[in-house]
Amino acid sequence: MASHNVARTTRVRTEEQRLQEIEKINKYRGLEDQIRSQAALGTYTLQLYDLTTKLLRLNPEYYTVWNVRRRCLLSCLLSTTTDQPASDTQDATPGAKNQQSDGDVLQSEVAFTMPLLMEFPKCYWIWNFRQWLLSQAILRLPLPAARKIWETELGLVSKMLNRDQRNYHAWGYRRYVVAQLESPELDGKSMAEDEFAYTTTMIQANLSNFSAWHNRSLLIPKVLEQRGSDDKARAAFLAEELDLVRDGLNVGPEDQSLWYYHQFLVSQIVGDGNGQSITPALTVDEKITYLKREIDEITDLLEDYDDIKWIYEALLEYNLALNRLEDKSGGAGNLQTWLTKLRALDPMRMGRWKDVEQQAK
Amino acid sequence: MAQATADTKSPGLATDAHVKYVLTLDTKTDELDYWMTEHLRLNGAYWGLCALHFLSHPEALPRKETIDFVLSCQHDNGGFGAAPGHDAHILSTVSAVQILAMVDGFEELDARGKGKAVVGKFIADLQNPDSGSFYGDEWGEEDTRFLYAALNALSLLGLLSLVDVDKAVSHVVSCANFDGGYGAKPGAESHSAQIFTCVAALAIAGRLDLVDQEKLGRWLSERQLPGGGLNGRPEKKEDVCYSWWVLSSLQIIDRVHWIDRQALIDFILGCQDPEKGGFSDRPGDMVDVWHTCFGSAGLSLLGYPGMEPVDPRYCMPKKIVARILGE
Repeated sequence: MASHNVARTTRVRTEEQRLQEIEKINKYRGLEDQIRSQAALGTYTLQLYDLTTKLLRLNPEYYTVWNVRRRCLLSCLLSTTTDQPASDTQDATPGAKNQQSDGDVLQSEVAFTMPLLMEFPKCYWIWNFRQWLLSQAILRLPLPAARKIWETELGLVSKMLNRDQRNYHAWGYRRYVVAQLESPELDGKSMAEDEFAYTTTMIQANLSNFSAWHNRSLLIPKVLEQRGSDDKARAAFLAEELDLVRDGLNVGPEDQSLWYYHQFLVSQIVGDGNGQSITPALTVDEKITYLKREIDEITDLLEDYDDIKWIYEALLEYNLALNRLEDKSGGAGNLQTWLTKLRALDPMRMGRWKDVEQQAK
Repeated sequence: MAQATADTKSPGLATDAHVKYVLTLDTKTDELDYWMTEHLRLNGAYWGLCALHFLSHPEALPRKETIDFVLSCQHDNGGFGAAPGHDAHILSTVSAVQILAMVDGFEELDARGKGKAVVGKFIADLQNPDSGSFYGDEWGEEDTRFLYAALNALSLLGLLSLVDVDKAVSHVVSCANFDGGYGAKPGAESHSAQIFTCVAALAIAGRLDLVDQEKLGRWLSERQLPGGGLNGRPEKKEDVCYSWWVLSSLQIIDRVHWIDRQALIDFILGCQDPEKGGFSDRPGDMVDVWHTCFGSAGLSLLGYPGMEPVDPRYCMPKKIVARILGE
């Protein structure tokens, strides 16, 4: 119903092919009917569980069948004690036995979804089901076993992100897994440094990975806080980040990801960002010095690249920000020159340049 | 603003073929894919019906059968599943409400279904009381898609007072990013489709004052690629459905003029199958009802001649939304 990247072809079936397809439909619907009629009785048996395995391998988008599978797991495969975290269980013998079997069941479920996830990496329902399995691990398993499952999951997310560096689900899931691994439920501690290093690795592999830059911007306040960075350390950190993104811009001045990250850093300098600032203690004069340096560096880019609209847009925006810091009214120095360039290089967004000009007056 | 026209390079809008395409969707029962996509049936009915409305052929689907099908998907708890026998979920529930709104069927929901109030309660019970966010169903997945679905459906039913709108609004605000966009949850990367859900939710709640419209408009306008189509995130390919998410968001913040209208019209028209009908994600790909809905919605919003005007917040005909909301 929503196909992407599938070439348009005219489908012509011979009568034989049509009959074969109808045979397949009948098999599929037969399986579906069995699941529905058993689920309607409200008895979630092992037999029903096996049927969901068959159907989900054919069609992992069938969310109702994932729900049936969860109900089967709860009613006949997992132990019945659920409300207390496993680590609180004092009664050693039966508890330990349940924990072992719960651990086996959950591991086997995780393994079941693995090939499906590899084949359908954008299917919401598989990700949801895994998330549910892992939350069951926290409820049911002794802490070290639960933690191990979650650590393994982080390995899986990295694998998925190596296959598709921008997978939206995988990045969201990564943040979720990390948050769980950091939580008291899993006896965790902050992983901000490791995750920050991970974004460095991903960015070094591909400067255009905006997902990694985005995550980096979220991790910075935590990293600085945990390092106990003083103003000097924070200034050094900011300088390093600016160098990193500028080095990128020197070789790839058309890269949107780099410019967005540069805008983020500049918003941290001038203090118009919403979040915590990297360098909260800058005086206005210091802000002006930083911003002027960025403007100079970007102006230098023009020597090698005079037809990249992002450069003119940055000069325009940062000079307007500079005016605000210096409390000057009126347009920035070369406003008209930059706008003329922007109109010529980026006519698709003509309406925006017109509005920008109006506002700057 | 210049009147939008079909460019000479593009074929015109193949309205008849598209109407025929939508009407034949429910006859393909000898194709496996028809059965494999049953988990989207109610959404599919909404996409198809919307496309027919935007193409100015709203009566093409029989009203009574449409209502019968929608009501056959309803559970005792008020929620709707994707088709009979499928579990209730907020995504199929909002489609049910939108379809009923379009065929003027709320009275029948009360008379023959479980009633508006029960639907409202089903949705309201999915709000997370701590964060204001919404779950998709009893299993607890959270996403700004669900929050939008809830505000969309409840506002159409006149039942927004059942939920904590202020908390929902705060949750949306917590999903904003430094680039002006919004993600699926707090901390998630900006994404055009999630931006639509967040901005449309704020519009429904009457809180567009909370949007950094300059920054967001800038990010959204950069989604347009040289081919005229729009993408969902930086460095991704253009796609008809993303074109709608971006375009409707731009319209809500009054900045459609920040992109090249004619180039987008040409891109969307280039994605139609002019003979067999329907739109695809990109030129030359397989058509489907999802892209047919959002392709025609996009053309309508861009003022393409002969089309029914669309409400960017609801992706429904403007006049129907206006009638229901009394705007």
